[in-house]
Amino acid sequence: MARSEPHTPELLLPRLRPGLWTVAVTWMRMVMRGAPILSLCFLTLAILCALLAPSIAPYEPIETNRAKTLLPPSLSEHPLGTDHLGRDILSRMVYGARISVTVGFLAVFVSGTLGTLIAVLSGVLRGWVETLLMRLTDAFLSLPFLMVAVLVVSLLGPSLVNVILVIGLLRWMTYARTIRSEVLRLTEMDFVRLARVAGASWRRLMVRHIFPNIVNTLLVLGTLEVGAAVITEASLSFLGLGVPRPLPSWGTMLAESQTYVFTAWWLPVFPGLAITLLVMSSNLTGDWLRDRFDPTRRQL
Amino acid sequence: MGRYIARRLLQGVVTIWLVTLVIFSLLRFTGDPVSYMLPPDATKEDRARLIALYGFNDPLWQQYLVFNRNLLHGRFGPSLRWDSRDGMEVFLSRLPATLQLTGAAMSFSLILGVVLGAVSATHPDSLFDRVGKVMAIVGQSMPVFWVGILLILLFTVYLGWLPSAGGLDRLGLKGLILPAVTLGWLFVAAHMRIVRSSMLDVLDSDYIKMVRAKGMPRRLVIWRHALKNAAIPIFTLFAVNFAQLLSGAVVTETIFAWPGIGRLLVDSIFVRDYPVAQTVVFFASSFIIVINITVDVAYAWLDPRVRIAG
Repeated sequence: MARSEPHTPELLLPRLRPGLWTVAVTWMRMVMRGAPILSLCFLTLAILCALLAPSIAPYEPIETNRAKTLLPPSLSEHPLGTDHLGRDILSRMVYGARISVTVGFLAVFVSGTLGTLIAVLSGVLRGWVETLLMRLTDAFLSLPFLMVAVLVVSLLGPSLVNVILVIGLLRWMTYARTIRSEVLRLTEMDFVRLARVAGASWRRLMVRHIFPNIVNTLLVLGTLEVGAAVITEASLSFLGLGVPRPLPSWGTMLAESQTYVFTAWWLPVFPGLAITLLVMSSNLTGDWLRDRFDPTRRQL
Repeated sequence: MGRYIARRLLQGVVTIWLVTLVIFSLLRFTGDPVSYMLPPDATKEDRARLIALYGFNDPLWQQYLVFNRNLLHGRFGPSLRWDSRDGMEVFLSRLPATLQLTGAAMSFSLILGVVLGAVSATHPDSLFDRVGKVMAIVGQSMPVFWVGILLILLFTVYLGWLPSAGGLDRLGLKGLILPAVTLGWLFVAAHMRIVRSSMLDVLDSDYIKMVRAKGMPRRLVIWRHALKNAAIPIFTLFAVNFAQLLSGAVVTETIFAWPGIGRLLVDSIFVRDYPVAQTVVFFASSFIIVINITVDVAYAWLDPRVRIAG
């Protein structure tokens, strides 16, 4: 059991007997190292499912079959079983990827744009505008996010667009705070000061000098936030306030599974697994991007 | 110190006021308040009464003043369903259940998180540490309601040990275990990570080396001296996570039929009882702000550097 990068001196000592523990540690380290690639693969798979759902799914996601209700997973017909209406779980999950992926990416786009706008406004205008915007950020941060989301979605009426908008409009604070501190740091740096001395306009400063330097941060935050958006959509759908039925959302599938949890374990297990894997992939990809973009952390 | 507290309190009041502004705008700009506040079978007289009560025909700024005045007097509007009691009264009757649930969940995650974090910090790069790291990554990605359903599947359906519904009054402590673990699960990973990293810092510090050089046994050094100092960041995390805790409570209470404010919110939304829903959101937000201020003040009290810098 050769170790490639010893962390502590005591590990430099030769191990006479590669015990089970050493093997397990090495194996886990390999998995951890492959994690970014695995998560990129899973993200790609989810996006492919979303794009090509009709050709991937073996059955129609809303097609009911009274003769085949609550069938357990079997390799021959329904790989992941059927639900209480005889609908194929696998097909519903493939279609469910559409909703999760769409909400994940579009909500992040909305919140990222709004957050960056607020950050840049407060970073550039300063003064009372900055104070007001930062207090507003504090106020939004102290809202119990899911409670407000539930309230607003129910007022607007549950639909895909409303879910995206509500998640987007309630989760811009992270961007506003992080990007603002980046903007403040950058405006104090020499190359920006020199550009200003050279007579560059505010617009040019923003577009040419500041923005290219915050893109990385934005990308990392955005990737990390995809997971949060996916969980929020699933929670709303679980509570019955997300994407309306019979459209198959993973959260809705879990909500429906609650009634049959005593008889059919496959109903709650698979959609939940899909949510967890998608969220984990976006988290791990985000962590990996952050390490890539930041040379000081690359060794960690 | 006094000045610091005063400033922090003032900031808190401003934030609460902004929260009311946000809630007011959310409620007014997302549709006709009269139609969503009344049940579908409301008569014309009901409509007229409601419009007069809230002044929906007045200009927006006047409505906002009325809204604020009612808040100051603790009048949140009569509930439309729960025996027409005041929204606040309904809210207060459900609050203890949520406090029990969140308290139990926090205790569970604190105890487990601190112990796991401390053990992995004292054995860095061991199998335990690595398994812990993987568990933390997986744990933080699992949706609360999935954790809840999986726990029901395991402990209720297969083992038959614990009930799948909760409520301290009905089922006692046995009914508290699954909901508390479900809600606390989310924070175990976070607590573990923060205790691990701050514990590693503390173990590396001079005073710990000093204590060890004096010959104190390793176990005592870790659990008596290091942990006390490593635990401080948990309180910051607690304040930050409190909003998430209440969000998680909404879902947990729905799964386990727990009679708290989260379930009250969802129920009142489904029966279109918006005065109650609005009260829940307002009080939950104020609660979060108060917790944040308390933690900040406690920090300033513990650490003089914060008072001067903040």
